[in-house]
Amino acid sequence: MLSLVNFTNFDFDQLFAMSDDTNPIMMLIWIIPIILFVFYGQRIQLYITSSEIKKGIKKLYGFKVESRKELIDYITKTLKPKDDPTKKIDRFLDYFTILPVDMDPNGIVDKVRHTVRSREDYTREHVKSLFPEISDFELTKIQTILEIASSLQMIYKIVNHMFLTAKKQNNYPLILPLQMILPFVMEQAEAMKEAIPAFKAGQPVGDGIGSMVVGKMMLECEKETIAFQTVLAKTEFETRKLFLLKAEGPSSTVGRPADALETIVSINKLDAIIMVDAALKMEGEDSASIAQGFGAAIGGIGVERFQIEAIATKNNIPVFSIVVKQSVKESITLMTKEIANQADDVRSQVYEMIQESTKQGQSVVIIGVGNTAGVPQ
Amino acid sequence: MMFSKKKITTAYTVEKCTKCGMLRKRKFAEGDVLFTESSKCTSCDGMTNIEKIFGETIEQ
Repeated sequence: MLSLVNFTNFDFDQLFAMSDDTNPIMMLIWIIPIILFVFYGQRIQLYITSSEIKKGIKKLYGFKVESRKELIDYITKTLKPKDDPTKKIDRFLDYFTILPVDMDPNGIVDKVRHTVRSREDYTREHVKSLFPEISDFELTKIQTILEIASSLQMIYKIVNHMFLTAKKQNNYPLILPLQMILPFVMEQAEAMKEAIPAFKAGQPVGDGIGSMVVGKMMLECEKETIAFQTVLAKTEFETRKLFLLKAEGPSSTVGRPADALETIVSINKLDAIIMVDAALKMEGEDSASIAQGFGAAIGGIGVERFQIEAIATKNNIPVFSIVVKQSVKESITLMTKEIANQADDVRSQVYEMIQESTKQGQSVVIIGVGNTAGVPQ
Repeated sequence: MMFSKKKITTAYTVEKCTKCGMLRKRKFAEGDVLFTESSKCTSCDGMTNIEKIFGETIEQ
């Protein structure tokens, strides 16, 4: 086959049409695309990029519609309301949150906490008023699915807005940031959409590994509610006093561990805080791998972490953490086998950490952080 | 994308006998909750507790 094509015998003058007897039509074939790309290059790129982004937006629209449908179907099936709940649900889905002004950051955490909790309280009370016979367990499930559907609606709206603005202005640089962030947005949105079945079925999610570990430690102990949707159990381990803390399962909630810690610290002298949580793995890291470290391992908007850090600093209590690494998708969808299999190992590491970080007779708080959906205590 | 396989996740429940410690894996059933009493052990007369609930994903 190679003998048919002689690569050593090219006539470059002919190839690039640069000789005197060049055909003017051939010249135009070269020059027109150059002129086109110089003047309209960005617009061409805009069209190519647009088609990719359009596919993403179509997918996001699908997620938005599906999550809304799943929410309405779930409410209709489980709560059997007398009236059609669609209109009321749609009103909830459109709720937005305006975060406080951060020009003067002094006191911003309290303001953020107030805004976020007001939203949660309002949603909870209104869902309750719409369906008065709803149990607390179902209420937390609906609240979580509502949050997911509302977030998917907001993501679709923002991405679509950025895309349409760039298209309207025919502005290629404006579409670049969207092109860059879209794969990450899609990953989050897909994870959220896939999280709905687990919350509907009351199954544990990857984020619940901290609750699962501490929940099992609490099983034989007497439990008390110490803060909103948060339970405490007191026990002993090798003459150390243990305060076990987690969100109240099996409802879908993260509880208020910082408020609970504040109450415990106000009554008891603590010598260590150990937090068990799920953590986002870095690319290349193994899923379900366990890591130990210092500092408060708790996600969310930052309000709880701020409060825990403030309490620990004020009372000079060291904070240790054990985390189970996982992806965004794994953290909010049904717990994987690999993560579930790590629960016993994490529990033994917690006991080792208690022995290493405290002396006999001392007190330690162990906080199981994360959504406790499907994880009782 | 044309050749990407469809992923299906199935939920499973693992029961552990409180008496003989035998583990049994079965498909998740509605109402299964972690750490709760589940069914009679198949190898002794003990009761089983739900030890784990997890999902396994297969590509089709």
